[in-house]
Amino acid sequence: MPRSTAVAWSSSSKLFAVALLVAALAGCGRFAVRPNEKEHLADRTMQFDPDGQEAASDDHVLSNREGSSGGKGSGGGGCGCN
Amino acid sequence: MRLQLSLIAALVLVPLVARADDRVDTTITWFQERRAEAAGDKTTLDVYHPQFDLGIDLGESFSLSAGYEADIVSGATESLYAAPPAGSVDAVSSATLFDDARQVGKAGLSFQGRRSRLYAGYAYGFERDYLSHSVSAGASIDLPGKNTTFGVAYTHNFDQVCDLDNGNASPLERRPLTGANECFVAAGTMGRTTISHDVAIDTTEATVTQNLSPTAVIQLGLNGQVVNGFQSNPYRRVRVGGIDAQEASPLVRGRLALFARARLAFPRAHAALGADLRGYSDTWGVDSLTAEMEYFQYLGGKILFRLRTRLYQQTKAVFFEDAIDYANFGSTGAFFTGDRELSPLRNVLFGGKMSYLAVADDAGQVWGLFDEIDFHLRAEGIWAQSLTDTPPDGDVSGPLPDMIIVSLGLLMRY
Repeated sequence: MPRSTAVAWSSSSKLFAVALLVAALAGCGRFAVRPNEKEHLADRTMQFDPDGQEAASDDHVLSNREGSSGGKGSGGGGCGCN
Repeated sequence: MRLQLSLIAALVLVPLVARADDRVDTTITWFQERRAEAAGDKTTLDVYHPQFDLGIDLGESFSLSAGYEADIVSGATESLYAAPPAGSVDAVSSATLFDDARQVGKAGLSFQGRRSRLYAGYAYGFERDYLSHSVSAGASIDLPGKNTTFGVAYTHNFDQVCDLDNGNASPLERRPLTGANECFVAAGTMGRTTISHDVAIDTTEATVTQNLSPTAVIQLGLNGQVVNGFQSNPYRRVRVGGIDAQEASPLVRGRLALFARARLAFPRAHAALGADLRGYSDTWGVDSLTAEMEYFQYLGGKILFRLRTRLYQQTKAVFFEDAIDYANFGSTGAFFTGDRELSPLRNVLFGGKMSYLAVADDAGQVWGLFDEIDFHLRAEGIWAQSLTDTPPDGDVSGPLPDMIIVSLGLLMRY
């Protein structure tokens, strides 16, 4: 691996770890959003990739025309109502 | 290989979404790309992509899923990146016509507990020159309060790609595969001209999804992939210092992507906003940034409209050079490519989607049978811009999109 790429990966990993920590500290308390406040979070517009077939088709089309792949994220949302 | 089945690795990470109901989901997508060079009377590449997925509950906690998809392709290939006529400086030759089909079958088993989900799946895909077996597994868990979800997923591909049997030829002596060469012929068969290379792909992804407020949710994630095996396009040739040789790419590629996604609801406006950001880097030197925005608007109780825009830009792979430079000066290392995916480029996507939604209520089931119906139509365009002087596949200019995507889908839950 070129040194510049290795340095970029290392920096990116640190940024990701910090972002993860901030997100966890910001809202992982069990009362951050109460169950009776999750009406809007449960809506399809708040789900990541509500249409799995569209997400798969997009990945297929775009990854065949761009050098990057992956990092589209996983589906679902944070409503915790499943 | 033309259709690159290896992408299954990315696709099977999706099924961690919990699907609580029996469901049938079907979509047909038409993709068309304009080509820079005419091939006979065909100046486009057309792909028809049917998808069919079925989900069945097996008791309270388990569910079974199965699916089928295909790519039916016809049209012009990318304009080739080699063999300029004698005395010409134009290193892009005309496209040729081809037809191909890719088919994929998949099945999976899911377990859903009170706060956790597990998934295991298998997919098999085949086309004329590429075979793929992939196994995948994933898990996700909600922390108490169900405001934080951690997810992990892993996929391994056991793939095979067809190639012309070049024996022990050096890279510059290697010749490309052609459509006339029969692939996956048993060893020892008379007249066999091809061999197959193994390609192993390991893909893993970790995500954390966090509710920030009753109207905001974010997801952060990390995706890594290692591809080990033959990754050149076996059909593609590159003119290197006067020699037409098969494209040569490194055998190992490591990829890493970091991403952040957010959704914000505007209840009074019956609307929502989505924003996705991805940074990507790989060991071939391709770095990219992707930004995507979505706006959702309910019109009445049953119509949902979405506008989407996406901006993507990447740098070139370290061994990518313009066709003219390869032709005149040769390659600077052991590798040379005519792959536009490895060239510097920018893509802009814009389009809309309209969904008709019907949900069972106190008045009864939808059409007397279903809990939910989702019928949708999507139309999007992609404007591609090459950021190099001699684009590998030529240049399609004008205000019209270089690629269009139109899809029609129906999801039924019961």
